[in-house]
Amino acid sequence: MNLNDAQRRIRWTTIAILVGASILLSVLDSTGNLDILFGFMRDPLTAVASWTTRQTDTVADALSGPRDLEEARTEIELLQAQLEALERENEELREIQGEWQILQDLFNRVRQTPELRRQTANVIGYDTSPAVRSIIIDKGSEDGIRVGMSVESPRGLIGRIFRTTQNSSQVVLITDNASAIPVRLGASRATGSLKGRGASGDLIVDWIDLKYQLEVGEVVLTSGLGGDFPQDIVIGRVVQILRNEADLFQQAIVQPATDFDTLEIVLVVTDFTPIDTTIFESPTEN
Amino acid sequence: MSSSIYLAIPLMLVLGLVETAVLPHFPIFGAEPQLAFVVALAWGLLYGIEEGVVWAFFAGIFTDFFSITPVGVSSLGFMVGVTAVIFVQQALPKSRVLLPLALAGLATVISFILNIIMLRLFGTIADFQSITILPTVILVNMLTILPVYWLFYFINRMLRPRRVQL
Repeated sequence: MNLNDAQRRIRWTTIAILVGASILLSVLDSTGNLDILFGFMRDPLTAVASWTTRQTDTVADALSGPRDLEEARTEIELLQAQLEALERENEELREIQGEWQILQDLFNRVRQTPELRRQTANVIGYDTSPAVRSIIIDKGSEDGIRVGMSVESPRGLIGRIFRTTQNSSQVVLITDNASAIPVRLGASRATGSLKGRGASGDLIVDWIDLKYQLEVGEVVLTSGLGGDFPQDIVIGRVVQILRNEADLFQQAIVQPATDFDTLEIVLVVTDFTPIDTTIFESPTEN
Repeated sequence: MSSSIYLAIPLMLVLGLVETAVLPHFPIFGAEPQLAFVVALAWGLLYGIEEGVVWAFFAGIFTDFFSITPVGVSSLGFMVGVTAVIFVQQALPKSRVLLPLALAGLATVISFILNIIMLRLFGTIADFQSITILPTVILVNMLTILPVYWLFYFINRMLRPRRVQL
């Protein structure tokens, strides 16, 4: 065997080992066998991600704010240290004001539906895969968060818990393609299944009976059917109706009420009373 | 396996953190670059298939770490994408600008589609409708690879200067 053959053999062995390792890891992880191991590893990493996000938030906020650089330069020359101190204080106050606004919105949201028990959580990361849409929050199983719990912002439903570690959780957003939620339309009372449309950020309500006359602007709410989500959480508004008399069902395009790119604090619904479905149960025979 | 693995692991961990905590605040055309993947690809284009595959493996692991996808799925997509384009690179004339751009686009397409297929196979959330974001991801990855590729190229030239026969 010459050197080239040996090198080639080593190369393909390496590739084969790594491909095998990837498949093995994927199988083990998707069957939940690596949850404990990765839970241990994810917790410190999400703590780092949380810190990084906080720092980046501050920088991003500063960059997005309107600034007249020339004016700022002149002022800095004139007032120097005093101005710098005041600007720093001002930035801090703006940050506090922004947080206060978010907290007030959250408080108002909680006050509207006091029957739901909620847990607040900070958004500390976004999904790294462009194929799926999820966020990472800083509350996990130690805080009482469980898989399947619904997650909302002050403006409406944003998703549900997909996976938890001790101190963090991953939330699948309702805009994800595979998300499906039973919903009801506010004015027409039509029911359907809400699906995400991925990258576009829009949502679509499918399986709406043709007998309903839908209107643009109708509010879309969770129906509570299935018991997975609380009833009457706002999701968004109908912006387009796709109706064809030849079809069995009609569809509605929905603009979500929440801006998913600017989420900072969310509410996890930890306990709620599902709608009563006992009338559907068959009576037991004596 | 070369000693570059000791660089790949911490670097990919940091890039995973950057992808989840920093880049979403600064989207380009509404998408973020797959930084870990692009770095692995640039490394592979400069140092060959074996290095590229190892880096792509760790890029995928740390990408999945901060995603709801099963750990390992992105590795497979990244490795296949990197391997395929390095084979293509060997068949094409050398160019330090156009080639990395084109190969980054091709590798993104391969890895993205394979990723969705794998996610479907594992019964995890993902839909072929996700492909609508693919053109933007391709563009952003193509924009990202050039500075990364050139950075690695110059570091390589500084650390391993070419031998010149007089």
